[in-house]
Amino acid sequence: MALDANASPWSRRDLLRMIGMTAGGSAMYQAMSTLGLAADSPYRGPIDLQGAPPGASVLVLGAGVAGMTAAYELRNAGYRVQVLEYNHRAGGRNWSLRGGDKYTELGGATQECQFDHDLYINPGPWRIPYHHRGILSYAKRLNVPLEAFVQVNYNAYLHNSKAFGGKPRRYREVKADYQGHVAELLAKATRQQALDAAVTKEDQEKLLESLREWGALDKDFTYVASERTSERRGFQKEPGGGLSARPIPSEPIGLKDLLDSTLWRGIPSGDEFDMQTALFQPVGGMGRIGEAFGRELGDLIRYNAKVTDIHQDAHGVTVRYEDLASPGTTLTANADWCLCTIPLSILAQIPMNVDAPMATAIASVPYASAIKVGLQFKRRFWEEDDHIYGGITYTDLPITNIGYPNTGYHSSGKGVLLGAYIWGLNAMEFTSMSPAERVAKAVDYGAQIHPQYREEFENGVAVAWHRSPFTMGCFGIWSEAARAAHYDNLCKIDGRIALAGEHASFIGGWQEGGVTSALDAVGRLHARAVAAGAKA
Amino acid sequence: MSARLKIVAALTLMAAVSLPTVPGAARADDSAAVTTSTSDLATTSGAEIYAHICRGCHMPGGTGAVGAGYYPKLAGDPKLVSWEFAAVTVLHGRRAMPAFGLSNDLAGPMREVHLSDEQVAAVVNFIRTNFGNHWKNTVTAADVAKLPHPTE
Repeated sequence: MALDANASPWSRRDLLRMIGMTAGGSAMYQAMSTLGLAADSPYRGPIDLQGAPPGASVLVLGAGVAGMTAAYELRNAGYRVQVLEYNHRAGGRNWSLRGGDKYTELGGATQECQFDHDLYINPGPWRIPYHHRGILSYAKRLNVPLEAFVQVNYNAYLHNSKAFGGKPRRYREVKADYQGHVAELLAKATRQQALDAAVTKEDQEKLLESLREWGALDKDFTYVASERTSERRGFQKEPGGGLSARPIPSEPIGLKDLLDSTLWRGIPSGDEFDMQTALFQPVGGMGRIGEAFGRELGDLIRYNAKVTDIHQDAHGVTVRYEDLASPGTTLTANADWCLCTIPLSILAQIPMNVDAPMATAIASVPYASAIKVGLQFKRRFWEEDDHIYGGITYTDLPITNIGYPNTGYHSSGKGVLLGAYIWGLNAMEFTSMSPAERVAKAVDYGAQIHPQYREEFENGVAVAWHRSPFTMGCFGIWSEAARAAHYDNLCKIDGRIALAGEHASFIGGWQEGGVTSALDAVGRLHARAVAAGAKA
Repeated sequence: MSARLKIVAALTLMAAVSLPTVPGAARADDSAAVTTSTSDLATTSGAEIYAHICRGCHMPGGTGAVGAGYYPKLAGDPKLVSWEFAAVTVLHGRRAMPAFGLSNDLAGPMREVHLSDEQVAAVVNFIRTNFGNHWKNTVTAADVAKLPHPTE
């Protein structure tokens, strides 16, 4: 796609929006790549930190993915490392809630997760794209086994409560029918010479053949009920064996109904670079990575440590913190250098003597609102009744998603669904509710898609990220303007202090942003420490 | 003019999935990969706006909260003597608090909640006259309109 953003009177955002509206996701992605916006992970293998000055020390603030990546590498390089962590556990947003776990949110509501043994929900990240090589590399080095995360399941649903009488449609039906209708229209236009100016005669033959293939069209280039189209969208009666075996093709959804339903919006959910197969999840929950990091670092991490002040001078960095195990007790930690991964939502409130541009940057990033609800059911009815094994149903209801477990397939007994994954205004509204109300709402909405909810629901947990005491929000939202004005100031080293975390990355909201920002910052801190030498 | 709280995320799936306001950052959420997700909260009640948008952080009763950081307590906050301070905070956000005064074309998938001047006035009046606050000088949409609004 030829695009010259500079020559356009439009903003880059307008351009992308328009391309997306007219040409679909792959064109959007192509355009983004052209404009340098959709970037591959910069991870290029283990970092090499040689020549650490003897005795040099680094204080790492935060035992999330970024902080522990930094601590792990700095320790291995020979630095004396201490990590301060607010929570009583390692991982930060890398976290799984399992049966028996307790979680107290801001405002004081405590939930005790009632899930059965081995069942869990990931309140934070839940999938790792294959190209997030940094976080994948640490999973490997920490011996955390992975399994496949299913993004697109052709038998999961697309649901619009205002279309088809509120009845969900299977992803395969929507995709096959949309593709078929579009292919038929384009074939018709081609054969009526409407594309003569754009496509040579020779290429038109190829185009027609490709449309027949892509859209499952018949010999006349039409998309009709047939065995051929049913092999894409599913049969009314599936083929089998014996006398009762004869298949009955299914009837495609008409073009007008399909367009009106807006379900086509859900088709590209697996086409975005970050959502393309293969994706992974740690066996046993995303939190396994944070737990493994925590075990690896052991005593280097001090838990229940609430940072209250960060001060640097010519000789080093002093951090004051409250020991939450003995409230009111202020302790101090010292080091030559400080790598701070505290979310900006919190760091903006902590006194820290960095220069004005960095302080302004820290205070310039709003945090996204998000909710996840996990629901336990007496049986895996989505598999047993609806034949949905993993993947995601998308809906216009406030719950937005139903995520089916990508593990334990076909097992009898209980199961846990991701019953809601909500952003924006709906997330703010859900945040305002008590945890029990959030769970009840998620069950109510979900029952519109899976009526079995009513009978089979047992218990649930709900995490509202703005009520999370350790992040006060889900992740940093960088506007283009804020990025241009503040990003470099945020990421530079100020004296003896460097920042890292998803907020200091172009992969916001992903663990890969935490890993790659940590490695970048650690590399630069190390260079500075080496230059300062033993006198540091 | 009817005041409406508009969610702009529903422009198109593409606009939403493709992170126009988060350039370069891949979006970990795919909440927009849905059907139409338009939500309209058509209320000019300050109490309702507070309940839907503010209460999640500032808490019932405006008590605020303390964790690794804190959400400011609105009950008895002396800074609320200035309605301009309150209104500018709602319009522009403050530190990690998002801006609610973005115009529709600036509000995007991740910065999607847009309050009209009338709604900003209503919620400012609500906060300044509840939770034990008794500031009598209520404000109007016209007052809010005179304040600077976010432009990016």
